[in-house]
Amino acid sequence: MQEAYKLSILYYLAFSLLLIVSAIMLFEHKIGFSFSGVLEYYTGNEEKFIPAQSVAGILKIVLPHIFVFGLFAMVLLHFLVFTNIKYKKNIIILVYTIFAIALLEIFTPFMIIGGFKFFAYVKLFSFFALLALVLYLSWLLFHSIAYD
Amino acid sequence: MKFTVIKNLQKDSAMSLILKGFLFFILLYILSDIFVMKSSFGISAEAVNSTLFGNEEAYIDPINESSFLEFWHTQIFFIMMILLTLSAVFIRVAKRSRAILTNALMITALVSLISLPLAFYISKFFIDIYVITYFIWHLVAIYMIFYSFWKLNARSI
Repeated sequence: MQEAYKLSILYYLAFSLLLIVSAIMLFEHKIGFSFSGVLEYYTGNEEKFIPAQSVAGILKIVLPHIFVFGLFAMVLLHFLVFTNIKYKKNIIILVYTIFAIALLEIFTPFMIIGGFKFFAYVKLFSFFALLALVLYLSWLLFHSIAYD
Repeated sequence: MKFTVIKNLQKDSAMSLILKGFLFFILLYILSDIFVMKSSFGISAEAVNSTLFGNEEAYIDPINESSFLEFWHTQIFFIMMILLTLSAVFIRVAKRSRAILTNALMITALVSLISLPLAFYISKFFIDIYVITYFIWHLVAIYMIFYSFWKLNARSI
């Protein structure tokens, strides 16, 4: 791979980190990192004047995220093709896991408003798992580009 | 990303045309972004200041934190995708100064994006940095687009 392309990928990783920071700040501000916070955000709380989310309301947020998560994961994962890591077996598991966790992160709100409160934990888990996987993948790419 | 491995882009007329069309749309996006930002968020230090913190004289309410974070989050995603694709085309067609310009583009865009929350949460001083770097990365991007156009029309690349 040309050195200049490595530069583009490294900057993409830097932007990805910034995207993760903004996602954490947005999640913390709008929903919060507690079980009750997630539950209240989606099912509402009359005492705190928090309105419950509707299916249409969630769909409005989910729709762009379906495209964005798919594109973001595809772009980040396809950089593996330019590195030596692509030959490792674990990479296939990583690819499956990232897409599966992304799906879980996107669609758990529908389960929460459907009455399955347990999915508030799943929402929190999938959010942090997705960020952790993106960070891990970014580290793999960075290490491969910088040292291989 | 097939264009990154084609040996002679000029001979591949279909790929050359596709890239020119793509560059035209990136140019449209970057120019439109300036106009949209002018009428919404602001592109001068005073306008950005009014958007972020309000202006009593002009009866402008400050932006709420939730809207600001959503705006910032969206901007990061769009800019990272636009710049990745633009830099990939530029690196393919340019020979000299491609590393310098790519660095300049990416660093100014990153500084611009980082200075936004710093302006909102820490100090108004970062508004000036945001505005300056916003225009620098837009100008560098426009230069890269025109340079890529020119190189795609050259004899061989």
